[in-house]
Amino acid sequence: MKILRNISFGQYIPRESLIHNLDPRIKILSCLAIIISLFLLTEFWGYLILGTFVMIGIIISQIHPKFVFKGLRSILFIIMFTLIIHLFMTEGEVLYQLSFLKITKEGLIKGLFISCRLFILILATSLLTLTTSPISLTDGIEKLLSFFKFIGMPAHEIAMMMTIALRFIPTLLEETEKIMKAQISRGADFDTGNIFNRTKNLIPILIPLFVNAFRRADELAIAMEAKCYRGGEGRTHFRQLKIRVIDILTLILTSIITIIASVLF
Amino acid sequence: MFIRLENVYYTYNLHMPFETKALKNINLDIKKGEFIGLIGHTGCGKTTLIQHFNGLLTPTSGKVYVEEMDISKKGIDLKLIRQKVGLVFQYPENQIFEETIFQEIAFGPKKLGLPKDEIEKRVREALKMVDLDYNLYAERSPFTLSGGEMRRVALASILSIRPKMLILDEPTANLDPQGRNKILSEIKAIHDNFGITVVLVSHNMEKVAEMVDRLLVMNKGEIIMDGPPREIFAKRANDLLKVGLGLPQVTQCMYELKIRGKDLYTGVLNVNEAEKEILNNIKKLNSQLKKYERL
Ligand SMILES: Nc1ncnc2c1ncn2[C@@H]1O[C@H](COP(=O)(O)OP(=O)(O)O)[C@@H](O)[C@H]1O
Ligand SMILES: [Mg+2]
Repeated sequence: MKILRNISFGQYIPRESLIHNLDPRIKILSCLAIIISLFLLTEFWGYLILGTFVMIGIIISQIHPKFVFKGLRSILFIIMFTLIIHLFMTEGEVLYQLSFLKITKEGLIKGLFISCRLFILILATSLLTLTTSPISLTDGIEKLLSFFKFIGMPAHEIAMMMTIALRFIPTLLEETEKIMKAQISRGADFDTGNIFNRTKNLIPILIPLFVNAFRRADELAIAMEAKCYRGGEGRTHFRQLKIRVIDILTLILTSIITIIASVLF
Repeated sequence: MFIRLENVYYTYNLHMPFETKALKNINLDIKKGEFIGLIGHTGCGKTTLIQHFNGLLTPTSGKVYVEEMDISKKGIDLKLIRQKVGLVFQYPENQIFEETIFQEIAFGPKKLGLPKDEIEKRVREALKMVDLDYNLYAERSPFTLSGGEMRRVALASILSIRPKMLILDEPTANLDPQGRNKILSEIKAIHDNFGITVVLVSHNMEKVAEMVDRLLVMNKGEIIMDGPPREIFAKRANDLLKVGLGLPQVTQCMYELKIRGKDLYTGVLNVNEAEKEILNNIKKLNSQLKKYERL
């Protein structure tokens, strides 16, 4: 129950900063560039450069680093897991041996390498979602996807689906918590028992959650039709996205840094 | 003393950028058998407060005692507490999940590990308490019911645990007047017939004031008034209006007459009492008038 409230990954924090005011398309493209170069580079130096770059971004964004790292906490388990798997599962020069478990030099390097990659990946995407409101994020995605309209990409529909999904994540979390509390008050118990029992115990949460979600979807559809929603065709936007000089400069800077990181290292 | 709160504070998202101080220095005693109305604006902390009564929330600071047991202590069996303190959430129909009404109401007793015949006995008893006919309803799907009926089934699903105390969070929200009166009269009957301690949460004074023995008025996370409704309406009507909580219509009417110079008692709860009070007042005036005429 506690976990639900500690998810800061994917949460928008409004501030007045350079990063916040960048065009969402630029931010998405920059984030993509960083991710691609994370997978291309072969030396630790590359991570250092990209890591520093993202950290500078976080500082400029005026979001407290504590908050960014809080989001990382939920991913920490996955990072540790990959590190351990690589540590023990890679063949090579043995550094340390404990009966059948052996740590190899190659394993250590590979493990650290992948961990760094995951770490910076989450950092970069957190920076994107922390500084971009869900609305402008999906606006940006819609605009970017519409480049692919000629091959039949339903850009608007995808963006609309994402907007609605993002909009309802907090609602669903809140509702899950409410239903859990209600069932606990009726004697349900979610913390004890074996795996089989625990799974069975989820039924009193999942069924009401689904019932409510379907009902809400139905109501939303009716409300949208009542407001004359008819898809993306000819739809205008209240907030127009505009590329400014600072956006172009950011894109150029990101390109240079990611190319240096992935090509030179 | 059934429930006792001492200097309870509660803050949501403590130490986070958007922390909310939902409860501030709450001190409260609830005795066995009381019928309490908890009134306050939306967002004043009513739901937060009642979740402290059965240990769903633990205070940021301060103490909560249920039957003299400090429930924030480690090793306390909260399941036992929740069995004693039944909490019916707002829109309880949103928690319904079973295939039949019988199973829905049997959920709590089953979790208590009761034998089959005892479970059936409790389901019958609970359905009776909310005035639904066992033979007609037990095998129906709860999802085919009307809103008001669904809510009564949800209420029954708490009653089947046989709590000593019943807390209802806005039980009348979103119901039509008929459904509202029905559920309120059932709650009143449950209190009167079974001696269950009841806390009725509402953002609306109307109806509630007439039913309860004691009103708790909350504003911005604090309890600002605590006493019998008559006393509160008689002495603190203007404070109630100041924080924007209305009076029941009749009481409001008496209050308006009073501030226009009539010497009236504003602690009335229904039309009959108001009528009596006004007639008394007129009689008094008439007799005074006669005295003057004689002079
Ligand atoms: N789960 C939660 N997380 C954060 N803040 C909350 C949560 N629940 C309630 N609050 C806040 O606490 C305050 C009191 O809320 P609540 O107890 O629900 O009020 P009421 O039931 O009187 O309408 C409100 O300001 C509300 O926004
Ligand atoms: Mg509430």
